[in-house]
Amino acid sequence: MKIFKSLGSGARLALRSWKAILIVWFVMLLLVSLFVLPAKSIMRTGFGSSTITELLRSGINVDVLSDLERYLASILSYLSSGLFLLLMLGILLYSLFAGGLFKSVSNLSQVLSVPCYFRASAKYFWYFLGLWFFVIIMILLSGLLIIGLPVGLISQAENPSPDVLQVVAIIAGLLYLGLLIIFTLVADYARAWLIAAEKPALFKAMGFGFNETFKRFGSSFPMMVLILIIILIFSWMASTIIGLWKPTTGGGVFLFFIISQMLFFVKILLKTWRYGSVTSMMELNNPMTG
Amino acid sequence: MFRKVIPFFALIIVPVPLFSQVINKVPLSPRTTGYSIDVKLDTAAKTVSGTMEAFWVNNSRESVPDIRLHMYMNAFKSRNSTLGKESGRSPGVKESDPGWIDLKSLDDKQGNNLIPLMKYISPDDENPSDSTVLQVILPKPAKPGDTVFISAEFETKLPSRIRRTGFSGEYFFVAQWFPKFGVYEPAGMRYRAESGWNCHQFHITSEFYANHSVYDVKITLPKRYVLGSGGMLIKESDAGTNLKTVTLRAEDIVDFAWTAWPGYAVHTDKWEHVNITLLLPEARNRQVERQFTAVKNALEYLTENVGPYPWPHLTFVDPPTIGAGAGGMEYTTLFTSTSADRMPEWLHLPEMVTVHEFGHAYFMGMLATNEFEEPWMDEGMNSFWEARIIDHYWGENSGLIDNRHLQVADKSYSRISYARSPNRQVVSNNEFSWNYPSGTYGMMSYNKVTVWLYTLMGIIGEETMNEVFREYYRQWAFKHPAGKDFINVVNEVVARIHGDKFGPDMNWFFEQTLYGTGICDYKVSGFDNIRLKSEGNKDSDTLSGEPMSKDSLYKAVVKLQRLGEVMLPVEVLVHFENGDEIPEIWDGRDRYKELTFFGHGKMEWVKIDPEYRIRMDINFINNSMTNDPDRVPIRRMANKLISLMQFYISALTL
Repeated sequence: MKIFKSLGSGARLALRSWKAILIVWFVMLLLVSLFVLPAKSIMRTGFGSSTITELLRSGINVDVLSDLERYLASILSYLSSGLFLLLMLGILLYSLFAGGLFKSVSNLSQVLSVPCYFRASAKYFWYFLGLWFFVIIMILLSGLLIIGLPVGLISQAENPSPDVLQVVAIIAGLLYLGLLIIFTLVADYARAWLIAAEKPALFKAMGFGFNETFKRFGSSFPMMVLILIIILIFSWMASTIIGLWKPTTGGGVFLFFIISQMLFFVKILLKTWRYGSVTSMMELNNPMTG
Repeated sequence: MFRKVIPFFALIIVPVPLFSQVINKVPLSPRTTGYSIDVKLDTAAKTVSGTMEAFWVNNSRESVPDIRLHMYMNAFKSRNSTLGKESGRSPGVKESDPGWIDLKSLDDKQGNNLIPLMKYISPDDENPSDSTVLQVILPKPAKPGDTVFISAEFETKLPSRIRRTGFSGEYFFVAQWFPKFGVYEPAGMRYRAESGWNCHQFHITSEFYANHSVYDVKITLPKRYVLGSGGMLIKESDAGTNLKTVTLRAEDIVDFAWTAWPGYAVHTDKWEHVNITLLLPEARNRQVERQFTAVKNALEYLTENVGPYPWPHLTFVDPPTIGAGAGGMEYTTLFTSTSADRMPEWLHLPEMVTVHEFGHAYFMGMLATNEFEEPWMDEGMNSFWEARIIDHYWGENSGLIDNRHLQVADKSYSRISYARSPNRQVVSNNEFSWNYPSGTYGMMSYNKVTVWLYTLMGIIGEETMNEVFREYYRQWAFKHPAGKDFINVVNEVVARIHGDKFGPDMNWFFEQTLYGTGICDYKVSGFDNIRLKSEGNKDSDTLSGEPMSKDSLYKAVVKLQRLGEVMLPVEVLVHFENGDEIPEIWDGRDRYKELTFFGHGKMEWVKIDPEYRIRMDINFINNSMTNDPDRVPIRRMANKLISLMQFYISALTL
């Protein structure tokens, strides 16, 4: 029951935070657009007044794109060098806004005003960034150890048995998936604790995250599994729509833009739901936290 | 007639085991050479050793004082071999690393010891450290019609780093493993001025040139090894403790290779008269259906459009990861493909390699061109057919990659590789394989040829192109055609079907594409719609000859340019506001061309080569111009990229 109570509470809190979500959505759109629009402009110049863009109506056509020659080289060089910067900026901005999002889904606060949202974002920025860094390192290392090592060793054999390889890959994959869920729980509990704590501290928060995850494993883990399944299904659905929809008119492209941005908004909403549910679960389990 | 009588004579006098079984009732080739080999594979020492009896028939009209043999395994002897120098790689420092072939004895039919009469020569580069071509002075010159018999005892050590041939652990791919005759070319053959041996050294960028031969091969190896070869299994017998002897026979093929590995799973299938065997690691059982489908499609397409596959057997191998260096090679009735244990269905890489390598059964196997000297006839023609087959069966626009987000045709890959190469003009296609400047061999021999063969097909039409190849097959299968022979076939077939539509011959095409280094690039540099002051009675000066309509007050002028050196006839399609479309043919000779149109109103767009048939054109974008460019796909791509990046960043940020 605790699970559904937390999920319900998380959903209410997430919906209540629509303004904060709108800010995240808008900033991310601005950031990515600033990155993509120059590339679009180079492409437009490259195609000039050619009719060849008709061959792109049904999707990417490498024959056509390769003929952009120096324009394509410019686009690729711009995208590849800019991608790292974009990712870094994205991570920094997300770390910044996650503080506000966690604050707004905290039951301790009422509906968060925009200035309060930014204040909370700024206050927890370095803690959240540090937390992201440590959790990502743990995720990458465990992936290498749990999947890379055994699968790599087996495939190095002269004639690896397909059954053994398959079984090992499945077991390693499932194990890794379980660890991913645990690390996500750890990160979310730690962040929820940071928001609630009077004296936030990064490593103390991580310790709380691990402690809370394993202490309440029976309720926390299934709740996170449920949330992540829903988010995964949604992401798959959204990426399918975005990937397969090929509007061929100006109006169609505009509609595509609106729908795709709505989908992204829902994606942030679902993430906030996760934050809210974990925060609620923590508050249910530890009424005196903070 | 002369050439047919001699092999028949040879067939009678050659020792019995050589022709003890017959696969084809009528020989497919002149069978100028033949081999009977009996060897043992030593899996510990990584050697193949045994005896060989072989013959070569002097089909020329002059006496020949020597014979020349390929000793290709010596290419892997040291880093000073021509292969070592060209690749810049050493065979390795361990004793087990190098590969070599050692002749322990070499006798003629009379029992004369030929060892003192032999010496290694380097006809291509005079490299004294290369021992891949052996010259043996005959005790008595071979007179016209004579058959030279040799009997050899040899040992071949396989190299540890598989580059087409070698071993890795228990995996063996055995190619270039026995002393093999070069090709004696009488004057006139392949347009050569004087008779002589054509026996090149082993180079990094070349493969084979050999006579169609008969092979009787016995291989003794441990019982637990699975053996695959280009021959038909005649017999398998016990050869003592844990050993077996496999007897094989192959007819009318240009090379004999084999592989042995305990881990092979064997699968069989049949296409019409052809029994197909596939060897691959058990872990790749999922690829079996894909591989058989690919090879059967290739058989069907090439049989229909080029000529029949005459052998009743075909074996192909998908080597395990440890033997990946053996992948993607051809030995006519045996070839190697490549794949992985898990290969996405949308990525048609195994199909592409299988179709390509099988295609060599035609282009080099049957139509036995000299790949050293004219690699375009082998790799280029074969890549053209590979692209046609792949795109025909797996999707015109998605032959190579058929993902819902990305589709790539095989023919696109060739065009991009050629058109985007900075080296596309540094050399022509008419070069010996080892003379190509660094990094250009693949692009030139495979891709440029594919592109200009597609262009030729765009000019003369698909059915005419097929007829060209059918005629090429009819005239040259199981012979040694040269490039000029192919051009002659093109001229003959095009004249037969199209008369003088393209001129007295098609040499103008080959001079520019095969022998030339120019690029092809046509451009629409602009068009104007000029409003006329008053209605006049001017006649149209275009081929359309349409009378001027009352409401058409515009003179439309199209400006065309030829930016490249290559001059090809192209279609120009002009579209007007009122829906009229006027096709014109431009011979493409002038650097600049204006077309003027009256009587159709305002022009909306113009396209050079609207069907994109001239695939040699290195830039399709400048082939057209419109007053209303379609920006929708660009906006859509930008929007997709925005959404994709948003979701990607969101996923990374916990």
